[in-house]
Amino acid sequence: MVVLGSAVLALLLTLDDSSIPEPASGSFSCLILLSTVGMMFLVSATDLLLVFVSLELVSISSFILAGYERANPKSNEGSLKYFIFGAFSSAVMAYGISLFYGATGGTTLIAVRALGPLALTGLLFILVGFGFKAALAPMHFWVPDAYEGAPTPVTAFLSVAPKIAALGALARLLAALIPAASVDLGNLLSILCCLTMTVGNFVALFQRNVKRLLAYSSIAQAGYIVIGVVTGDAMGIQGILIYSFVYVAMNIGAFAVAIALANDRRGASPSAHARLDGARHGGPSGLDAADPYDLDSFDGLASRSLPAALAMTFFLLSLAGIPPLAGFFGKFYLIGSAVGTAHYGLAVAAVVNSVVSVYYYMSISYRMFFVSPRKGARAPRIGICLYATAALALAVTLFFGILPHRLAAWAQLSAKFLP
Amino acid sequence: MELPLLSLITFIPLAGALAVLCLPKDLRRAIEGVSLAAAAVPFALSAWLYFAFDRSTAAMQFVERHGWISSSAVRIDYYLGVDGLSAPLVMLTALMSLVALIASLGIKERFKEYAFWFLILEVGMLGVFESLDFFLFYVFWEITLVPMYFLIGIWGGPQKEYAAIKFFLYTLTGSVFMLLGILAMYFKATPHTFDMLELMKIHGALSFKFQALVFLAFYFGFAVKVPAFPFHTWLPLAHVEAPTAISVILAAVLLKMGVYGIMRVSYPMLPLGFEWFLPYLVVIAVINIVYGALCAMAQNDMKKMVAYSSINHMGYCLLAIAGVTATGFSGAAFQMVNHGIITGALFLLVGVIYDRAHTRDIGAFGGLATKVPVYAGLMSLACFASLGLPGMAGFVSEFLCFLGAFPRWKIYTAISVLGILTTAAFFLRMLEKVFLGPLNNRWADLTDMNARELVSLVPLAVLMVVLGIWPRLALDMMNATMVNLAGLFK
Repeated sequence: MVVLGSAVLALLLTLDDSSIPEPASGSFSCLILLSTVGMMFLVSATDLLLVFVSLELVSISSFILAGYERANPKSNEGSLKYFIFGAFSSAVMAYGISLFYGATGGTTLIAVRALGPLALTGLLFILVGFGFKAALAPMHFWVPDAYEGAPTPVTAFLSVAPKIAALGALARLLAALIPAASVDLGNLLSILCCLTMTVGNFVALFQRNVKRLLAYSSIAQAGYIVIGVVTGDAMGIQGILIYSFVYVAMNIGAFAVAIALANDRRGASPSAHARLDGARHGGPSGLDAADPYDLDSFDGLASRSLPAALAMTFFLLSLAGIPPLAGFFGKFYLIGSAVGTAHYGLAVAAVVNSVVSVYYYMSISYRMFFVSPRKGARAPRIGICLYATAALALAVTLFFGILPHRLAAWAQLSAKFLP
Repeated sequence: MELPLLSLITFIPLAGALAVLCLPKDLRRAIEGVSLAAAAVPFALSAWLYFAFDRSTAAMQFVERHGWISSSAVRIDYYLGVDGLSAPLVMLTALMSLVALIASLGIKERFKEYAFWFLILEVGMLGVFESLDFFLFYVFWEITLVPMYFLIGIWGGPQKEYAAIKFFLYTLTGSVFMLLGILAMYFKATPHTFDMLELMKIHGALSFKFQALVFLAFYFGFAVKVPAFPFHTWLPLAHVEAPTAISVILAAVLLKMGVYGIMRVSYPMLPLGFEWFLPYLVVIAVINIVYGALCAMAQNDMKKMVAYSSINHMGYCLLAIAGVTATGFSGAAFQMVNHGIITGALFLLVGVIYDRAHTRDIGAFGGLATKVPVYAGLMSLACFASLGLPGMAGFVSEFLCFLGAFPRWKIYTAISVLGILTTAAFFLRMLEKVFLGPLNNRWADLTDMNARELVSLVPLAVLMVVLGIWPRLALDMMNATMVNLAGLFK
């Protein structure tokens, strides 16, 4: 787990660093690195205090990152919401940990035998903290605003890294605690999981902004991963690992294409550019109608740049879980483990949700392939870093879709390290 | 070392698709050449398959098996093979893909993308009929979805987007339930396996409740594809909106995947569930036959009429399966092949007239027989074959279907025979309105079929007659498998 977690994050980091657009600066990279350190601690922590501290490290750097576009009101709004929600959930979690401490006399997760009602309450509070970080419904309200406001590379980062780290830690926590719990926490988690998938997918149906759409879709994706946490068998754990890894690739890939298009659009229309410049320099920002992340930036992409359109399609299909792409393989493991451990309701919910998700993922494909491009639209110029990111992500998505063998073996190896 | 024939058949189109993707889109000729070659080679190989096929055994042939994914949690094989049920369908797929690709050379816009998606689609269709590993089966099954979505959605008619997404969502909903069924079977087997042949052996250990439930999950996936009433509503829409060649593929191959699934998966793996569902299945079959025919009768759009006639014809397949006899199974398999050839030809023919007249309204024509004699002749031939005129392929298979179903379902079979009457009625009505009577002057300068259209249609017409006169060409291939299939639970 540690091995995999750090590898995933290291990979993620390189991906992300290369996709930062113009205003990349030292502190930006520094914050991302800091946050990454937090995540590595988070997934490998076996003590609740350490979990808490690392979670805070992740959170605080994320708050700053989300508000990085200082002069953009949306960025501020998102960051503030994120911060308030985050602070609240941290407080709840700290309270939960103290209850846990009071009940068991320690904060270490290993060697917990039996949990009394007090510790259980504590555990619930801790769960809230994790739910917030992983954006499980109903603790997801900060997500769309924070994601929309944050600079897009940050959004890409936030939508994968903290989420996976939190889920990884959650899996570890629950693997240690569920057997000891007197009440079946599995049911509660199943409900959370279904709720998360459903809310994420159904709300995503109505989004017009790519970032918000992907934000809601990432909520749903976290829901799928929770299936593995609930079932907790070998297939489920491997499923979590595989799916997290693949999810990083496909989600970042999708964001990379979106960033490329938005950059291009900003460059293309001077007014939008001026607005952003003005905004950046603290000048008055007129509310320009052209949102560079509106879905219509995808109009006719297929005829402008077939490779970009095909790549995006593959990312989206992979997110939707269509074989033979890697996303399917991960989902297959997760749903398989749900069926194998007799969580049939969960399995049905997951597949129905996959169908729903196809609708909005395909609505992007629809714009790329079926709608003719706007007047004067040309092939987007894609920066070399973005290009490399997308290509790498695409390679992962395709390669592990067709030959998931190595990934499976790797996951099997890592799963052994789990308690 | 033996040649991996099935892999070659399946993956040459994929290689073709990738090659097409690498060609610049201005080199139209090169793209056409590569894609045609990528469809022609599998067809040639499938002809070889025909001659090399051992007709005396029901066992799987040309088997290829390699480990694909193995971990502590799952074990998945790359496992291909064909028997008397799937080999004819593989050949049909290879043939119809080639024919449809020839027919689509007339496509003007974005041909590169078209060829790419088309060849990917062919890979998926071939793979479904060949795979013997459930995971692989599902992967191929789903591969057919995405290209179809784009092919309908980009090159289709006025309502194409709606038709495309409806097709996608319908079939995906069906297939995810199939996925749950597959997983349920996997976990029921000890040791856990996706090997379809192994899974056919464990039915003794499965409880009735389990079988019924899993049967429903599979049936849902297959019925959407067939399409069986009441899951058929995507079909007329998709058919009408799809470009001609894609309608051909849809009718000739994709619908067969559903019936194939019932014969390959539902019946041998879940006999109790199948037995329990039989009374419903036969009713659904009769509804498909009668209701499909009546709907076809009510259409003025030729393409829609042919689409509804597909629902009717797939009803015969379901009826024959419900008979659970060797005759019935042979009939169903043969009907699949014939329906593929005949309905494929009908869609092509409708496309031919639509390209010229830009309308498919039956009432808009009249007296065309004098103007376009070759077209009229081929159209009549296809219609007669489709309505089951003795001497043509359709007759033999429909006869076998009824023969197979009759011992068990006398009344239902009798009702279904009435369906034939309706079929005859609507085809004859169409022929009369379009070709006979005084010539409608609007069409005074209509031209007859060109070389490309003839190349794609004449082979199909020849097959309709040859298979009608000498059906053993196909039936001998299926016989051993069907006898074995019918005798499984006697």
